[in-house]
Amino acid sequence: MSTSFILRRLGYGLLLMLGVVVLNFLLIRLAPGDPAVVIAGEMGGATEEMLESIREEYGLNKPVLVQLWIYVSGVAQGNLGESFFFNQPVSKLIAQRIGPTILLVISAQLLSILIGVFLGVIAARKPNGLMSGFVTVFATIGYAVPVFWTGIMLIILFASALPIFPVEGMQSVKLRDAPFFTQAVDVAHHLVLPAFTLAIIYLAQYARLSRASMLEVLGSDYIRTARAKGASERSVLFRHALRNAALPILTVAGLQFGNLISGALLVETVFNWPGMGRLAFESILRRDYPTIMGVLFFASAMVVVANLLTDISYRWADPRLRGRS
Amino acid sequence: MTALLDINDLRVTFNTRYGEVTALDSVSLNVNAGETLGVVGESGCGKSITALATMGLIPSPPGRIAGGSIKLAGEELTGASDARLRALRGADIAMIFQEPMTSLNPVFTVGDQIAEAIMLHQKVSAAQAFKDAIALLDRVGIPSPAERARDYPHQLSGGMRQRVMIAMAVSCRPKVLIADEPTTALDVTVQAQIFDLLNEIQREFGAAIILITHDMGAISEMADRVAVMYAGRVIEQARADDVLDAPQHPYARGLIDCIPALGKGETELREIPGVVPPLHLLGAGCAFADRCAHKFARCESEKPLLADHGHHPAACHAVEEGRI
Ligand SMILES: Nc1ncnc2c1ncn2[C@@H]1O[C@H](COP(=O)(O)OP(=O)(O)OP(=O)(O)O)[C@@H](O)[C@H]1O
Ligand SMILES: [Mg+2]
Repeated sequence: MSTSFILRRLGYGLLLMLGVVVLNFLLIRLAPGDPAVVIAGEMGGATEEMLESIREEYGLNKPVLVQLWIYVSGVAQGNLGESFFFNQPVSKLIAQRIGPTILLVISAQLLSILIGVFLGVIAARKPNGLMSGFVTVFATIGYAVPVFWTGIMLIILFASALPIFPVEGMQSVKLRDAPFFTQAVDVAHHLVLPAFTLAIIYLAQYARLSRASMLEVLGSDYIRTARAKGASERSVLFRHALRNAALPILTVAGLQFGNLISGALLVETVFNWPGMGRLAFESILRRDYPTIMGVLFFASAMVVVANLLTDISYRWADPRLRGRS
Repeated sequence: MTALLDINDLRVTFNTRYGEVTALDSVSLNVNAGETLGVVGESGCGKSITALATMGLIPSPPGRIAGGSIKLAGEELTGASDARLRALRGADIAMIFQEPMTSLNPVFTVGDQIAEAIMLHQKVSAAQAFKDAIALLDRVGIPSPAERARDYPHQLSGGMRQRVMIAMAVSCRPKVLIADEPTTALDVTVQAQIFDLLNEIQREFGAAIILITHDMGAISEMADRVAVMYAGRVIEQARADDVLDAPQHPYARGLIDCIPALGKGETELREIPGVVPPLHLLGAGCAFADRCAHKFARCESEKPLLADHGHHPAACHAVEEGRI
């Protein structure tokens, strides 16, 4: 893996982020609604003079392009502006919430890939078998059912009817001062339902995708060669076939990451998970533009990083791509 | 005395959308240590299926061995357990495939792929297996073997890949080596080198070789004996010289006539008119009847069996009745 490849991809990533920042800004600023009214509303009064002074204070009376320049150069220096609602730096608000979101998104991604691929491989072994039928049906259902429904069903089943998991939140209040390990177990316990809720849609897709990909690979000549050497069925499946079948799975995993983050927004709302999703949701209702843009900025950054990792892992998995740009 | 590999009355069927078709019908072949058996015949006549059946690698479903026996050094393989077949495959009986471009796994280095074959059957460390792999690459004539061992298949030419396949196949000194059209995808000079290599390896290891090809030229150079196949049956079997000099079955005659007679004023490649009938359309008579100039009533109604009609075994009513 060449360093220049990674540097070049990082360069593209930065350019992309700049585009995202500009687009976010323009989209939100061009949407109807006057933020000054919203801010004033939150403060409990709305004379024209007050609105004017608010516009002055927040720079809302400057031309849009000047505002854009101020915003972009601020972002470049790590300043995402102040929340209209919290009167706090946006970066601080996000710093408090990005951890839980990353934890949720990555757990869901790992769960869906590991379980999904495993189911797909098992199904591909006997394409007309019971497991194969189960995967197909499950994939269709998993894909069709909305996240919030799955979430509520899981809550009813595993938090209410069979109270094994907590209903909401990320930590138990009484454990706030417990030693680290106890807290970690507590967080993991809270994580199970939201992570599964988020994972189920993608899990089903990975299962179907890897079943198809494995079936194709299992028919190829080099699999016959592996069998002709005397390799065991397990080695044929997991060593010879899966490495090749993983390529399309990796691509989809990279592409799905963005969807996963937007899915996290819903799941965080259902489970009251203290992440960026809920912050975004609430900020949209409050028309808290700087916060919305900050959240979008970080969500995009996560997608850019995920795509970079996908490219790298793709090259790791497929030697034919190495040494090419 | 029984042969090292003895195939008797082998029958292989496939489930297709036309119902069950018979891809191999009462195929009997045998080959001894140090001997090369050539198997020839047109595309689709069952050469690869015969080889795969011997390896226990018939894709199943849709295929299965429906009858007959395959004995390796007296041991019956048709009903053997998966574990037993795995232990034999790659160790006692190995195969070189028709498609060098796609028969190696693209995501592992060729050295690792050979080393894997070694470690599956011999108790050696990974490091030792890799060293052995390099030695094998050297043995099959690959220059700078230590570097090439770290290459991936896509970095090698077709001829090099086929050498890698050969190195892998002989890594455990198999008793029987099946080479399924090892040179079809390669150019002529490389073909000659591969055949030389197979000959050397046979002298060195004393393996029995089954050489599958539709190239009669290769047969005349390599084979001690020949089996000619047509539509899933062996229709002629004898010493290579006998078949080449005095082919009996009209199909075998056609094949020999098709060898380009270089320097004899021949400019065009000749071929046998017509095509092999699809398996599901095989009727009660001789499968070659529709293309045969010597066809008579009996050919339409009765399948000819392989039998000696004076010269050497052939399956043809016309030969049996002395019409040709
Ligand atoms: N999976 C399968 N399902 C159904 N029929 C099959 C299958 N595999 C092979 N056959 C049939 O078996 C017959 C023999 O095939 P085989 O591959 O042995 O031919 P071949 O003699 O090796 O031809 P070639 O010279 O093209 O390699 C063919 O008619 C083919 O249609
Ligand atoms: Mg073939």
